[in-house]
Amino acid sequence: MTMIFTADGVFELNADETLLEGLERTGHEIEYQCRSGYCGACRVKIWVGSVDYPEPPLAFTAADEILPCCCRVRESIKIDCHKAITIDRIQNDLFAPDLLQDLD
Amino acid sequence: MSSTYSTFCQTPNNQMAEPMFFGQNVNVARYDQQKHPIFEKLIEKQLSFFWRPEEVDISQDRADYQALPEHEKHIFISNLKYQSLLDSIQGRSPNIALLPIVSIPELETWIETWSFSETLHSRSYTHIIRNIVNEPAVVFDDIVRNQHIIERAQEISVYYDDLIHATQIYQMFGEGVYEVNGTSVAVNLHMLKKRLYLCLMSVNVLEAIRFYVSFACSFAFAERELMEGNAKIIRLIARDEALHLTGTQHILNLMRTGQDDPEMVAIAQECEAECFELFKRAAEQEKAWAEYLFKDGSMIGLNKDILAQYIEYITHLRMGAVGLKSAFPHATHNPIPWINAWLSSDNVQVAPQEVEVSSYLVGQISTDMSTQDLSAFEL
Repeated sequence: MTMIFTADGVFELNADETLLEGLERTGHEIEYQCRSGYCGACRVKIWVGSVDYPEPPLAFTAADEILPCCCRVRESIKIDCHKAITIDRIQNDLFAPDLLQDLD
Repeated sequence: MSSTYSTFCQTPNNQMAEPMFFGQNVNVARYDQQKHPIFEKLIEKQLSFFWRPEEVDISQDRADYQALPEHEKHIFISNLKYQSLLDSIQGRSPNIALLPIVSIPELETWIETWSFSETLHSRSYTHIIRNIVNEPAVVFDDIVRNQHIIERAQEISVYYDDLIHATQIYQMFGEGVYEVNGTSVAVNLHMLKKRLYLCLMSVNVLEAIRFYVSFACSFAFAERELMEGNAKIIRLIARDEALHLTGTQHILNLMRTGQDDPEMVAIAQECEAECFELFKRAAEQEKAWAEYLFKDGSMIGLNKDILAQYIEYITHLRMGAVGLKSAFPHATHNPIPWINAWLSSDNVQVAPQEVEVSSYLVGQISTDMSTQDLSAFEL
């Protein structure tokens, strides 16, 4: 089981999705453009673990960066990626769950 | 030392040992041994992207344009003028500034391939403008008269021009102090390398930031199902620019991390403050440009504040990619995430025939044949 730890949580990467797709599915704010490794828009820092690539990507990455669109994740990793700020999340922050529970 | 340019330097050399720039001029265009194989991969990718503006149907755009309110016509046409300026510069300058000083074959060919693709962009603007206005000359003539565009042209071309002028003197006379048009000019290799680094950083800024205000406006029109032919062409241009940006980021990062000419590491450090200012100044200029675009009114989905936030956001990302401290560290959110769907090349239609037949293949050769396959032919 490949677990992806981010700055805002953890999720399991499905076998049929790329890391980029997994991050999008779980509501992370991740930039993208070419989705095939040549533009570098999605590059993120990797804090723990490592990834490899079926083919070396064209885009430049520093030693501590990976390209979620085309990398292959073979072990659990931790990356520098945050969840997108959505209306839901803002509202949740405003109204803590226990605040409403007390009304019942 | 002799520094005169030769189109075919007859001194045998080892291109694996040459730096990217300011070594011995390339003689044999050979790719059997490559110092930096990334450039050949970029060439192959760029060639696979080949497209022509005439392939895109823009006939609906004319009617769309006529129906736009005046302030939106201003936004649309001004962006095309600005992009025409950018690609006029990019279609020639990498060739003129970089080819005389490049010293490895795969990079020389990448520069030529890169610059050529910019000429496709220039031809696209004529294609688009011819279609929507009756007198294209009025639009093009304004590019060198419009103060808002000229200000940008100055900032972009000055780094190329400084490098070209110094290279010309260096290649004619070598290092030294010379009297040129009444002013004393000192030319040496260190100063040339510095100008090269700044020039490449300025190109990086152009590809990383300057195009994106226009891109955002074009896609904002298309989100409303207006000027969709134009948006299709802009997507192809954006795909090319993303690749060029990768190329320039590679050159800069190879230099500053010491994987090429060791002297460039110190030069990158010397230039760091100036590079930071270069990015920041460009971002401010682009914000001013957004203000000029929206002077008579905004368009649905975009205004100058949103565009300013977007400029800061991409500047923040792009500075990090070439090892610079961010000028806008707070700008960590994309205010117009919908733009990525347009910038994504996943859904770029690569051949015009694909509209009708999705399995249409270009340049495919079948090697799986037997003599029986030709039995129906009679001579």
